[in-house]
Amino acid sequence: MISFFLFAIVNILVVLILAPFYISLIKKVKALFQGRKGPKLFQAYYNLLKLFKKESIYSTNSSFIMRVAPYINIICSIVAILFVPLLFIPDNYFGFGNIILFLYILALAKFFMALAGLDAGSTFGGMGSSREMSISSIIEPIVIIIFATLAFVYNSVNFFEIFGATSVGLVHASLWLLLIPLIIVLLTETARIPIDNPETHLELTMVHEAMILEQSGKNLALMELSSGVKQVLLMAIIINLFFPIGFNLPLSLIGIGTSLIAFLIKSIILAISIGIIESFIAKSRLFRLPIIFAIAFLLSLITLMMEMLL
Amino acid sequence: MVLLITAVFLILLLSIVIPLIGLKLKHSSLRKISLILIMLACLISIFLSLQVLLGKDISFQIFVSGTAFSMLIDSLAAFFIIIISIVGFCVSIYSISYAEHFESVKKRNFLVSLMALFILSMMFVVISHNLLGFLFFWELMSISSFLLVLFDYEKEETKKAGIFYFVMTQLGTIFLIFSFILIYINTGTLDFTNTSLSPFLSSILFITLAIGFGTKAGMVPFHKWLSYAHPASPSSISALMSGVMIKVAIYGLIRFLFIISQQQLWWGIAILIFGTISALLGIIYALKEQDLKRLLAYSSIENIGIILISIGLYMIFTYYSLPAIALVALFAGLFHAFNHSLFKSLLFMTAGSVVNATHTKNIEKMGGLVKNMKYTSLLFLIGAISISALPPFNGFVSELMIFQVFFKSNSISSPLIKLILMISMSLFALTSALAAACFVKAFGIVFLAVPRSKEAKEAKEADKFMLVGPAILAILCMVIGVFSFQILNFIGEKAGVSFDLPNLLWISIGTFIIGVIAYLIIRNIGNKHSRVSETWGCGINSQNSKMEYTASGFSEPIVTIFSSIYQPKKINKPTFYDSKGVIFKEGQASLSLIKFFEEYLYLPPLKMVHYISEKLYKIQNKIDLDSFILYIFLTILALLIIVGVVIR
Repeated sequence: MISFFLFAIVNILVVLILAPFYISLIKKVKALFQGRKGPKLFQAYYNLLKLFKKESIYSTNSSFIMRVAPYINIICSIVAILFVPLLFIPDNYFGFGNIILFLYILALAKFFMALAGLDAGSTFGGMGSSREMSISSIIEPIVIIIFATLAFVYNSVNFFEIFGATSVGLVHASLWLLLIPLIIVLLTETARIPIDNPETHLELTMVHEAMILEQSGKNLALMELSSGVKQVLLMAIIINLFFPIGFNLPLSLIGIGTSLIAFLIKSIILAISIGIIESFIAKSRLFRLPIIFAIAFLLSLITLMMEMLL
Repeated sequence: MVLLITAVFLILLLSIVIPLIGLKLKHSSLRKISLILIMLACLISIFLSLQVLLGKDISFQIFVSGTAFSMLIDSLAAFFIIIISIVGFCVSIYSISYAEHFESVKKRNFLVSLMALFILSMMFVVISHNLLGFLFFWELMSISSFLLVLFDYEKEETKKAGIFYFVMTQLGTIFLIFSFILIYINTGTLDFTNTSLSPFLSSILFITLAIGFGTKAGMVPFHKWLSYAHPASPSSISALMSGVMIKVAIYGLIRFLFIISQQQLWWGIAILIFGTISALLGIIYALKEQDLKRLLAYSSIENIGIILISIGLYMIFTYYSLPAIALVALFAGLFHAFNHSLFKSLLFMTAGSVVNATHTKNIEKMGGLVKNMKYTSLLFLIGAISISALPPFNGFVSELMIFQVFFKSNSISSPLIKLILMISMSLFALTSALAAACFVKAFGIVFLAVPRSKEAKEAKEADKFMLVGPAILAILCMVIGVFSFQILNFIGEKAGVSFDLPNLLWISIGTFIIGVIAYLIIRNIGNKHSRVSETWGCGINSQNSKMEYTASGFSEPIVTIFSSIYQPKKINKPTFYDSKGVIFKEGQASLSLIKFFEEYLYLPPLKMVHYISEKLYKIQNKIDLDSFILYIFLTILALLIIVGVVIR
């Protein structure tokens, strides 16, 4: 019980505090590759604080959806944090950690975000919602196959149990094939190149940005923070599955501290690699996306069949 | 117990008769009495079924002129009676106001009376434990629902829908009668007893049963009637048909599958594959639909597909003698049937309120209803979240159970079956994600943003009864979702099944605490001021409804991605004044989607029948005496030859 509370507080604080950092880190990496100086490493924190201090503007057309969507998003994201252990695994997890529940809690957040996109009656918002829902529909089979593979290999549908197994070194060689689909899922869910371009405000390319175009002030800050949280969680899943060094040390102050440092190093490397991947790939056309997803689907299905048959 | 069942029967009979007495009475009191009686009957039967589920089965016989109509309420029947009764109860509340919307007084009375007949027949289909009784009430159900589909018989569209429904449903019944004859020949009794046939005959029995019940349930490729019948019939009836009647067909399928012994593997696979196809095609067709009620009808096909998937899984796992997993699959299917009946009738009723308020079924003419129809929109939102399988609502729990069954398919030995299961699982995942997209579209286009027509702008909130009925279902959706762990554990203990589910109650409490803390923190840190202003329109002064995203615009990316399924036909025929095609004169452009099943599956047999009857018509049409004498001569000759061959 106590260890769960400790876990909850530590996990939530670590993710919330780290979330903005990776946003500016990836921007910095991309800027360096483009020969620019780029923003400060802590720029995302300043941005969030600035937005929190600004007033929110609602459209005359908008309804309660616009007003509750940011809160639902941030609450869903925080609850989702409790599903993915970052540093250590508590003794008891009270029904948290179910993979499918995790996915669907994030889907609930996305559902409201998409509705909020339609709420203001702007063409941009509608376009963003439409594209976001289409993309998230066709990525779903891949996500499920990936998690089904994990469920078969570790005989569990719970992140706590799966990470418990990986942390003692139970990583199958064939699972490495899952890394590519997982990274494609990460890029998709965090709205990055080649699926989406987080930086432009050009209607040809934008998906996620278009959807939250009508959000402002505090609400925009909440939306940005929750997509940052989602990014950290997906990164944590990849890290704890494939590079579990330093994860889940014996429960003590030093143990948690060491795990935190290990996680920071691993996640910074991963974030930098995401920045590098983004710098080297061009944004794909919207209707070319199914090809990328088909590759990811095939790879994950092959892994799954390998795990099931061999 | 039997007394109570008789009471239910008599009360329902009374509520059929009462509105007919005052057929031309404008005052609503008789209709109200009748509806209250239906509610009473529903409450009694919920009580009865709970008794059965907790205790033991009830069985009794009714003798009608020497033939025994034996009835049995076991747990399976009791479960479906609960579905019928809950939905029947809420639809009756809704109908107190809804029935008064019709112009003609006669129609109002007929609606209530036929609704009572419809509910009565469904209840008695479920408790019939005898082929004859089953068939009798099944046909009563079909006919009463047919009359209800034809309710707006003045409209050309409704006539077509009614005939279509009637033909499809009777074709289904023919298959059922055929399979009942097979069972009767084999067992020699009209009761439901274990039937063991040769593998070939039992496969034929399975096929006829699957087609017969599949037609009623809306399984692809026999699904087409749903998309005609649901939009045509009154919304309260759509709620009953989609929420309950198609579940009665599922009941029939499960009931008869139980009595065939020596099940074969391919049956389960066939059900699984047809279920997956139904689920995927249902939601893909729903996505592109602009008629609100037709969209819901297609989504019913999707959900029937999901239920069939779990029945298929049940059969496959039973074949591989893995009863623990198989039972979870069966319970998941039944639970999904229950959940679907709650949220789909909720959605149909609120859609009915919307259609009443805006006088159109086309969602492209709606929009902005959230401002005038606050409560209706909230109820529709709850239904939309539940049907999109999002936590903590009930739809999520049953889909979670199905996923967990899929995740256990590693225990099956055959690699081929594993591959089929995995492909089916990924398509199932695609389906549930597309459902979320579909209902974002439905809610967003209907209720949010700027009204797209004058009617939508002036829409009024529905009457209180039209809110209370759906509200009960909405609350049930939420409560059953949050307490799913406790409810299913209770059922699991009784049935000896363990469901490995997350405790949604803990998670909801956790979410609530986090929500309160987060809200307080955000309130204190953040800027409390807010301002209301125009939506940014790229420099245009005022936003109007033409600038919004439309429903067809919303589904365009998905239509493009799945264009091989939709086969959109683009016709673009411009004519020009000059020879080089520069100065545009006039032109014609249209975009239509292929009606695959109608064009390739339903029409060819129809054309064949036409062709044959035309040929026969020619033979008969020659009125000269000589040719008739020739026919008689040829017939006698043929008979003589046949008799000669047979006697020798």
